[in-house]
Amino acid sequence: MDLFSVLDMSGRALTAQRQRAEVVTANMANAETTRTPEGGPYVRKHVLFQADAPGTFGASLHDAIDRDVRGVHVSAVVPDSTPAIKRFDPGHPDADANGYVSFPAINPVEEMVDLMGAVRSYQLNTAAVQATKSMIQQSLEILK
Amino acid sequence: MNNIQGFPVSNVDLTGGAAKAPDQSNGFGQVLQDAVTQIDQAQGEAQNKIGEVMKGNGSDLHTAMIAVEKADLSFQLMLQVRNKIVAAYQEISRMNF
Repeated sequence: MDLFSVLDMSGRALTAQRQRAEVVTANMANAETTRTPEGGPYVRKHVLFQADAPGTFGASLHDAIDRDVRGVHVSAVVPDSTPAIKRFDPGHPDADANGYVSFPAINPVEEMVDLMGAVRSYQLNTAAVQATKSMIQQSLEILK
Repeated sequence: MNNIQGFPVSNVDLTGGAAKAPDQSNGFGQVLQDAVTQIDQAQGEAQNKIGEVMKGNGSDLHTAMIAVEKADLSFQLMLQVRNKIVAAYQEISRMNF
């Protein structure tokens, strides 16, 4: 693994955090959505982060660190299993026979905290890119 | 990138570039040529990524930025190697017998 692949690894982490922010934003946007094309209220989504598969066998033999150091990617976006919140509102067009409307089980405050987490992680990984960049620049300084 | 990082200094044949045919496979000129080609590729890639972001093809901004940084750093590496080679050449040309 060279310093340029470290940059790639940070890049994949940035992509993963961007996708997390995207999903959280969608959750916040749909916090009050009672109707979806699939029917029923919107269901809150989670992102699943998964470590990247190890490199090729040849690369692992070449460099021991390639076996243990891995990047990250979003493996799946899965729906939350919490049941919908029922609110009594008989005049609502999506109310059931008993007058209850199903709202998604989304707490905007929780989503906001999750979004802040995504933003901080993104910051963290851009800092890692900067650090790698300055390491490469330092090694170029050797030649001067 | 790997080819540039593993710059095969031991294979560098200082007489190969000028005295022999310039297309010799492991001649010094060829090594430089390969390095410049690699850097050109990196810059082409960076340009493509930026173009994709500008066109809004759903490409990530940070991917483009990292590609640009890679191109910039490989260019700086090439520049440093070139400065070193030119310095060595000038040192030799200043020799008096």
